[in-house]
Parts: sequence; structure tokens; C-alpha cells
Amino acid sequence: MENKKTEKKNKKSGGIVGFFKDFTYGMATHGMARHALKTRSSMEHLFILITMGDMLGIPILPPYYSLRLLPHVVPQITTWKRRMLREKDFVESMY
Amino acid sequence: MNSLWVLVWWVVIVVIGYRVYAKWAARRVFDVDPNRATPAKMYMDGVDFMPANKNVLYGFQLNSIAGAAPIIGPIVALQWGWVPALLWLGLGVFFIGWLHDFSSAMVSIRNDGDTFGALGYKLISPRARKILLTFIYFYLLLIATAFGHVITKGVSANHALPFPLLVVIGVAFLVGHMIYRARVNIIVTTIIAIVAIFLSIWLGTLWQIKISYTTALICVLIFGYFSSILPVWRFIQPYNYSSVYVVYFGIIAGIIGIIIGHKPMTLPAFTSWTIGMGPLWPILFVTIACGAISGWHSLVSSTATSRQLENELDVRPVTAGAMFAEFTISIIAVIVVATAFADKAAYIKGVKNPVGLFVGGLGGAITSIGLPESYAKATAGIMILILALTIINLVFRFMKVASAELLGDAISIAKNPHIATVVALVITFILVKTGTWLYVWVLFGGANQLMASFALLLITLFLVQKAKNYKIAIYPMFFMYATTVCALFYTAFFKCLPAGFAGKKVFGNFFAAAVAILLIICALILAYDGWKAFKKYKAGVPEGPPEAEKAAA
Repeated sequence: MENKKTEKKNKKSGGIVGFFKDFTYGMATHGMARHALKTRSSMEHLFILITMGDMLGIPILPPYYSLRLLPHVVPQITTWKRRMLREKDFVESMY
Repeated sequence: MNSLWVLVWWVVIVVIGYRVYAKWAARRVFDVDPNRATPAKMYMDGVDFMPANKNVLYGFQLNSIAGAAPIIGPIVALQWGWVPALLWLGLGVFFIGWLHDFSSAMVSIRNDGDTFGALGYKLISPRARKILLTFIYFYLLLIATAFGHVITKGVSANHALPFPLLVVIGVAFLVGHMIYRARVNIIVTTIIAIVAIFLSIWLGTLWQIKISYTTALICVLIFGYFSSILPVWRFIQPYNYSSVYVVYFGIIAGIIGIIIGHKPMTLPAFTSWTIGMGPLWPILFVTIACGAISGWHSLVSSTATSRQLENELDVRPVTAGAMFAEFTISIIAVIVVATAFADKAAYIKGVKNPVGLFVGGLGGAITSIGLPESYAKATAGIMILILALTIINLVFRFMKVASAELLGDAISIAKNPHIATVVALVITFILVKTGTWLYVWVLFGGANQLMASFALLLITLFLVQKAKNYKIAIYPMFFMYATTVCALFYTAFFKCLPAGFAGKKVFGNFFAAAVAILLIICALILAYDGWKAFKKYKAGVPEGPPEAEKAAA
């Protein structure tokens, strides 16, 4: 009940100005933000690939560097696996 | 009749369509459930699957679906009169358009955010994915040809437009550099961009540049090459960003101008059942695609939007809402052109240059708010050219990817981005120079509407599979399918081939006929596979529940 009330309040607080702000952001900038995220994710894929050897127990880079990189990579493994293994379509490269 | 009566038609369609029919279908047919987890929440990865605010998504969806087509299609269709154009726009969006966009997103959401290629593979047949890709490739080729001509003709016929257009392109590079390299504040960047563009429109009316058709076409294709090759952040994104404001201004000024001016509709309400392009049915129904129904929207709804919707209740405002907004743009286009020309002869003279017609129409409406006529017309011209160039921006880039996907395994050179882009540009150049634009426009609409039929078939199969009321999708699907196949058949066998055999624009007409025949063959294969799948699901083939249902259980 409480959650629903807070949700309703949050929705109302935007008002017409909030709508136009969000709408303009969606029209003008949301695509750019999505593309920036996609670029970052493809860089992360490379990053994870670099440390993949260590995760599997086969050191490829000098262990000192890959061990320092490893903590940054480990939290993303789940979403990375999902992204890599998900079936991809030609249409996805357009949007 | 006064043009304000058309706004009454618009209100009736939007209010009943959105508030009554769409609401009913969302509740009763699709059982929209606010508590059901959407793919954006279930598979959130911070990139593709990411919940977003519905207002943001509404803007994103509208920006992704609305280009120059909802303006040009209705303008061209005024040849049959404004009553048939308005009837098809209103009834098309009411019974088919919003349903198509909304259901595409819903089907994708209920299938873990799968795209239509994957869904076609799963629900229809493995080759359905290839058929969709073929529709998309030829759609892109025809759209490049159609809009290549629109821009070229517009720029070469109106000498006030080349200068501001060059400034818009220069501003796009500048904005990209300022945002991504120099890290200038976005508000400052936006103000500089807007001032530069609107100032250049005024300067363009003073410094007119004459440019021939062929030179303009080559410039457009060079533009297409760079937008295909350069990184997205370098040109396409800043171009889209800075041009949004001009389009915003044009639409708002147009609406205010229509209300203030409230001019009478001067073009004939109805001209004839058959005109030079062909009979009202089926040709009008593919001439106007965007604004009434467009297959391209299903790709946007099922790919980008469905993976960002955080609640099933948001699907209707985002997808159906954006479709009704696009319908609004078409209505504005019809009103401004139908009120701008004193008689049919003046309109028909300019029908091969839709930019010129729109400049006359919207320019006149903007003049009603007090701007000088030359400035108002140049603003209208730049607005439609910007919208058309947005399409050219993306189309060669998409064709490059489609070539690699279609031919990459067999011909490795097709994977080279430069070669794939140049091949697409050369074909476009030949088609623009040798084709008949009005026939190309019909074929472009045909490829688009075949994608819509494909989407409606998928929606029907989904509803049959779930034992829901599939009739709301199957009748629109039959109508779109029959109309489109007949339109392609008519244009190929009664227009393009006879013109080619008579020695008129031989290559372009034969090529267009070959494309139309190929699309018809693909459509027939799709119908056969679709019918088999329909029978299978009607007989009740068991299926595994998708992830959302598993999670709910």
C-alpha cells in the first residue's frame, strides 16, 4: 500500500514540466545515452576477455596486472554471460 | 470546408482510439498486468535491458518512428483528394496502426524481449527470419532512393535551402566535437547550435545558392557515405540532437498557424477513383504508410522499446501514444498542403517535389504567426530536409550491416564497410537517376507494409497460441497483406514493366519491377508458412512457458 502511494506521488511530482523535460530528453538524448552504454559494454567485453585466462586458471597477462584487474571484472560476470550467450539479431545492430 | 473541422476528425480518432479501443484491447485481449516482471527488469544488464521512464521512452519511440514519410506520403496521396487521405489516415491508425505498434511491443515483452527475427524463426518458420531480412534490405534500398530524390529535388529547386543545410551539417560536426571532445556544457552547446541554424535559415534567404539536380544527388550520396563510415558520436548523434529543435519549432509553429489561420481546404475533397499512379485501392493504402500504419515501427517496438519498458501499463502510452502522435504529424501535413494551393493544377505541378509542396503549405501556416514569408518557407523547407536527411543518415549504415548479414558468408568482401556502403550508394544513384519516383514511393510503401503484415501475422499467431481473441489482429493482417501484394503486383505489371518496354527509364523501371516481384514471392512464401503455423497453433501445440511466466509461477 505504502509503496503504491509513494509511486503515485513520484508520478504526480513530475507534472507537465516534468513530462516535457523527460519527453525532450527521450527525443533528443536518450539514443545517445544508450549508444554510450553500448560502447562502454563492448569495451567491458574486451576487458573481461583480457582477464578470462586468470578466471579459468590460465595466466595470459603477467599475473600481477590481471590480478589487479580481476576485482573490477568479477561483479559483471553474470550480465556479461547473459549478453554474450543471448541470441542476437541483425535488427539489434540498428537500435 | 474550414480546416478546423479536420481537427475534429483528429480529436475523435485519438480520443476514441487511444482512450477506448486501445484501453479495451490492452485489458481484455492482452491482459496487461502491472505486477508482471518485464524483460527490462528481469534481465537488466545496464545496456540493452534497462528500465526507463515512460515519458523518456515516449520521446525515444516517437523520434525513432517519425521521419519525413508521415509528411510526404499524405502529401502525395492528396492526388486522390483530401477526403480519402484523411479517411485512410484516421481509420488506418484507429484499427491497425496503434494495434500493430502496441502488440509488437507486447509480443516481444511476453517472449523475454526477443526481436521479430527471432520470433519469426520461433513462431512461423526458420526461413521467416530470412524473409524479414529481405523485406528490410529492399525497404532500405527503396527508402534511400525515395528520400535521395526528395532531398535532391528539394535542394535543387529551392535556392534558399542549400546554405542553411550546409550549416546544419557543419553544426552537427561542431556539436559532436563540443560535447564529446571539448566537453563543453550541453546547454551552451545547444544554444549555439540553435542560434546558428535559425540564423543560417535567414541568411539562406539572402545568399541563395544554385545547384543542379545531379550535383545535389552526388552531395547527398557523399553525405550518406560519411554518415555510414564515421563513428555514430562524430556525426549522426549530434546531427539528430541539434535538428530535433528545428523539427519541434516547425511542428509547434505549424499547429499554432493552422489554428490562427483556420483557412479553408482549397484542394478538391475527392478527385477520381483512378489517377496516374493507379486506382485508389490498393495504391493509396501503400502511398500513405507512416501516419496510418508502418511495419518499421514493429522493429523499433520489439527491439529497443520492449527491452526498456519497466511496466506493462506503460506499453500503451509509449507505443500507441507515439503512433497517434505520428498520425497528428500526418494530419498537419494534409491540412497545410490542402489549404495552401488555390487549385488542383498548382498542386499537381509540384507533386514530384514534395519538399516544394510542404514548403508552400507549412510556410503558409507559419506565416500566420507573424514570421516573414520567405523565412517561414525556408524554415519549413529545412525542417523537412532535416527529417529526410535523418533517414539518409541511417539508411546506408543499416544497408552496410544488412549486406554483411545477407551476403557476408558467401562473399567475404561484402563484410568490408567501405565496399558495402559504396555498392549501396551506386545502386541508389542509378535508381534515382533512372527510376520513376512515384513508382519507387509505392514500392517503398509496399515493402514497409509487408513488414507490417509480417508483424500482424506474428501477433495473430501469438494470440492464437495463448487462446486469446486473435480476430483483432487477423483481419487487419488479411487487409494489409492483400492490399500490399495487389499494390506491388499492379505497380510491377501495369506501370513499371509497360513503361520499361516502351523505352521510358528502362533500367530503373525493370529494376523496380524485379524488386516488386521478389517481394511478392517472399510474401507468398510467408503466407504459406504462416498458414501452416496458424493451423498448428489452432490445433493446440504444447509450448514451454517463457521466462516471465516461469518467474511468476
